Amino acid sequence: MSDPPLDFPITATGLVRHFGPENNRVKAVDGVDLHVSAGEIFGFLGPNGAGKSTTVRMLTTLLKPTAGSATVAGFDVVTQADRVRRSIGVALQDAAIDPLMTGNELLELQAVLYGIPAAAVRRRADELLERVGLTAAADRRVGTYSGGMRRRLDLALSLIHQPTVLFLDEPTTGLDPMSRITLWEEVRRLNREGTTVLLTTQYLEEADQLADRVAIIDNGVIVQQGTPTELKAAVGAPSLLVSVGLPGGAAQVTDVVRALDEQGVKIQHLELSEPSLDDVFAAATGHRLEGAGTGTEPATDHEGAPAVKRRGRR
Amino acid sequence: MTVAVDALPVPRRVDDDRTAFTRQVLALSKRSILAIYRQPALVAPSLIFPLFFAALGASSFDRATALPGFPQVDSFLSFSLAGSITQGVLFGSAPTSRVGILIGRLAGAAVFGAFQALFFTLVLMPFGVSVEAGVVGLMVIVLAGAATGMAIGGFTAAMALKTGSSEAVQGSFPLLFIALFFSSAFFPRETMQGVYQTIANVNPVSHLVEGLRGLVIDGLTWGNVAKAVLVPVGIGVFSIALAMRTLAGRLAAR
Amino acid sequence: MTATSPSPAGSTVSFDSASAPGGTLVRSSRGLALRGLRSIVRLPSAFLPAMMMPIVQAIAFSGTFFAITKIPGFPTDRSINWYLPLACCMGSGFSGVGMGFSTVRDLESGFFDRLRMAPSPPLSLILGPLLACWLRVMIVISTVLVVGFSFGARLTDGALGLVALYVAGLGVSTIAAGWGLGLAYVFGDMRAAALMQLTLFNALFLTNAQTPLFIMTGWLHEIARVNPFTNVLRLSRQGFLGEVTWGDTWGGLAAIVGLSAVTLWFARRGLDRLGD
Repeated sequence: MSDPPLDFPITATGLVRHFGPENNRVKAVDGVDLHVSAGEIFGFLGPNGAGKSTTVRMLTTLLKPTAGSATVAGFDVVTQADRVRRSIGVALQDAAIDPLMTGNELLELQAVLYGIPAAAVRRRADELLERVGLTAAADRRVGTYSGGMRRRLDLALSLIHQPTVLFLDEPTTGLDPMSRITLWEEVRRLNREGTTVLLTTQYLEEADQLADRVAIIDNGVIVQQGTPTELKAAVGAPSLLVSVGLPGGAAQVTDVVRALDEQGVKIQHLELSEPSLDDVFAAATGHRLEGAGTGTEPATDHEGAPAVKRRGRR
Repeated sequence: MTVAVDALPVPRRVDDDRTAFTRQVLALSKRSILAIYRQPALVAPSLIFPLFFAALGASSFDRATALPGFPQVDSFLSFSLAGSITQGVLFGSAPTSRVGILIGRLAGAAVFGAFQALFFTLVLMPFGVSVEAGVVGLMVIVLAGAATGMAIGGFTAAMALKTGSSEAVQGSFPLLFIALFFSSAFFPRETMQGVYQTIANVNPVSHLVEGLRGLVIDGLTWGNVAKAVLVPVGIGVFSIALAMRTLAGRLAAR
Repeated sequence: MTATSPSPAGSTVSFDSASAPGGTLVRSSRGLALRGLRSIVRLPSAFLPAMMMPIVQAIAFSGTFFAITKIPGFPTDRSINWYLPLACCMGSGFSGVGMGFSTVRDLESGFFDRLRMAPSPPLSLILGPLLACWLRVMIVISTVLVVGFSFGARLTDGALGLVALYVAGLGVSTIAAGWGLGLAYVFGDMRAAALMQLTLFNALFLTNAQTPLFIMTGWLHEIARVNPFTNVLRLSRQGFLGEVTWGDTWGGLAAIVGLSAVTLWFARRGLDRLGD
């Protein structure tokens, strides 16, 4: 029997990691404190080079901290690294998987390395392949997989031993919107089943969509921490983004502004946008080009007239 | 919209074309030579390995020079200089990456081949090697180095153009290894036997090496000069024609 | 959480799902060795040169340096008998450092992180590739031998000579694999590959590789006399030059054991320090 569930499966106290020689030291992580609650999805948000991956590498025992301490699944990441490894699943950035092996072979190797009984290996591999929708591609070499398929296989590999804590390092970077949504759904499902998830991302929308709580890291330091709602409320009151078609052209902007003024709407931001080729594509096909936008920007009206986007508060 | 002035058709004389061609060749040659100078990591092995082998050979095979079939030499080093030069030039043709224009690349290979020939001779001289053919002989050796460099450059260019990848040129290593070792580069043909000797007899590398070796240990004779220079020139005519044909094929395919 | 209770990942498999047991040394090493062997078939461009070079070397050296057998006192009148074991040892050495190359590829791609995060004994990350390397060496030596015999090589002490050759080849590959893996862990990129080849090449050539010690002169004689790889080559050649004797065996075995211990320790130390 294993121990009862922990309140905080992931904790870090004053976690520091330096790189390089004494005279040219780079502080990648500079005193991170974290307490991730059991059963939550914790988003670690920050730009490239902020220290997200370095923190994850320390928490997953790949890198020793320069200072500070951390526990994962109740075990110290330095002195009980082996116990930590048995308890966690990790899908690292870029889904680095041997391209010469097939999905099946990789899952079998992973099962062997995690000590899963030989009799259970095949069944477990089949379950996971089905779960991530790769059953048909299981005997193909990974080199032939698309980016989305690789990420899903990487996720399956990280689940081989049914971990209670899952680390996902930028799981959707570089993926097309459809693959991204598929992966999000899988992460939500895992979380519903009880897995605690720490997810790093550089996408605001991803953190907003998935995370129960978010920590924002910049230059190796956590600058904000809380639920997405709390963090947004701290910045200010909500604002409204409205898109207004201007069939009469840009000259109509003054009419719109005057009308709003008359209604007592205080305008914070006014932006005139012309239709882009992406809008043309969206109008013609009903969806946007791969990677264009995050789905938050409204499309211009289909007549192709310029639109005024404004954020106002009454 | 603006139109670049030099894109307008301007009548030009044939002399201008020739000058422009010469200038282009010079510029591309300079680029190729600079590429050698700026990539010491690519060049160093082709200078160090032949010397390492020469040093190994001098200690390993000095007693072999007394065997029947060996020419009269003071030391194995004198015998092996020609082999060292050939080995260096064969495995040290100019860096192939991105210098795509054939003529510039061949010029770079020729200059580097000449440099290698001079380098190996000068480095081994303090160790008792002397060129019996004198200064003129040394110049012929350097010329032969240039011609060999160009000939090998032609082959590697043809391979690179054929496959479209500079990595494929790495694949020429085994072929060059066989060309070098199935020749008289390291031991005289007279000491070999059977099929191996037959291959060495027909291998042009044997005749090139023997021409160079003749200049080092015998002296300046027309026979030695002819072998040292005409063999690589002959190979070069063939390899450069092959490269140009491949280049033309690639351009036509576009 | 054990047995068949619903797991966090939503399936029912009968093992303790909250904490994986971790692979055993034998099972994990075997799994990793299998991966290494698959690459022979799936990445032939990496394996074939290691196979072809010793064949070409054995034939080329024995042909070009044929005359050295005429030097009075030379231990055989078949030059291929002298150069075939050298080529086998060179091929074995390059198969060994080949494990270093593939580890550099794994480190550069990031796949090695996944292997390192697994709760299997770290030693399996060295032992697995080493097992694969030994099998590759058996294939290389056997192939070189078949070609060598067809080019006139002959055993002088029966099967015992073959055993000595295989032991020497496996030993050289172990030394080279330890060295290659260690350099791969220390550098983590292709700089390691150049260093692996260069050092192995020097270690094997600054010996009695080309001629017996008594024929050598000068500086090479002094180095080759104390180079432990000279003993390994002596061990490998016994079955092609005369009888296999303990006198020509123990030095090679001692060199293999000693150098393997040093390079494998170097590899293990490099692996342990990857997270530093």
